[in-house]
Amino acid sequence: MPSPCQWVRSVLAAWLDGELKVSTAEAVRRHLEQCESCRAHARLLKESWRLLDEMPPAPVRSGFTGRMMARLVEEKELNRLEARLEPRRRRRQVVASVLGLAAGLILGLVLHTWTGLPEKPKSPIEREVSLNVSFLEDADLMDEIAVIEAMDRLMSDNQPDEGV
Amino acid sequence: MLTFQKGDELAFQELVERNQSRVIGLIYRFISDAADAEDLAQEVFLRIYRARKTYKPTAKFSTWMFRITANVSLNALRSRSNRRDDVSIDQITDFGDGPRAMPDPDSRLPDTDLHQRELQEKVQEAIRALPEKQQVAVILSKYEGLSYADIALTVGCTTMAVKSLLARARDNLKDQLLLYIRTGRGRQRVS
Repeated sequence: MPSPCQWVRSVLAAWLDGELKVSTAEAVRRHLEQCESCRAHARLLKESWRLLDEMPPAPVRSGFTGRMMARLVEEKELNRLEARLEPRRRRRQVVASVLGLAAGLILGLVLHTWTGLPEKPKSPIEREVSLNVSFLEDADLMDEIAVIEAMDRLMSDNQPDEGV
Repeated sequence: MLTFQKGDELAFQELVERNQSRVIGLIYRFISDAADAEDLAQEVFLRIYRARKTYKPTAKFSTWMFRITANVSLNALRSRSNRRDDVSIDQITDFGDGPRAMPDPDSRLPDTDLHQRELQEKVQEAIRALPEKQQVAVILSKYEGLSYADIALTVGCTTMAVKSLLARARDNLKDQLLLYIRTGRGRQRVS
């Protein structure tokens, strides 16, 4: 709960500007009568606000309306030129888009031809491995195959004959 | 405005004639440069001209005009401060370690003028140091005499928000200008 002084200070600016309801303004006035500290605060607010009057008003040169209307005529003229240039600009945009599209198509065609060259034919074993042994796809194919074949051979050589 | 909206160019001329000093005056409060204030005032009237077809007379014309004026002024202030931030090292010539030019003694102003000018600069600095919305509220309240309700319409917030904006703004101004207040005359700086 704010103290009476806190409350009064929060509405002092509005009180000085005459923006408070009559009853609230009256309550502020009564508090200020009794509170020296808030009275001093109000005085500072009032005086600092008054200092803003020290700012000189703007010097207005005569003939502003004439200059303004001349600028308006310029603006209208510019708008008219813009409107006249607009169809040409649009035509240019369409041509640029068509050219860009054609260039893209040609580039795509060239790239496709370039990357679509036939690969070097694979040996039958390479072809079989690449088709069936997917987990070896990323390995150094020929080395792996040689090792596997050697292991197979060893295993079949060392396997005891059934029934012996 | 309504006559002008119907396409009467003479009505626009009259609108400019009638409102120019308010618009220029208001911009000047923000930017403190007479030549720039006139250029920006032209910009304000051009915006009014361009927006004539979309303007709906739901609020007072002056509220709408003040809103445009405040926006144009704040934009100008923002681009000014951006330009200042963009100053390259080549443009900075005073590094603070060389001999400084002394003011010409013959060009000294009388003491009262000096105090007056210093005070005006301080007031200007104090206003400019406020956050944008507080600046607008202070300028509209102090120099245009707008009520809290009209400021609220111009800034686009509630009357309660304006009340709080101005309370904070006036506290800030009091703190900034304290040195110039104590004598009670506002002209003599307390050292």
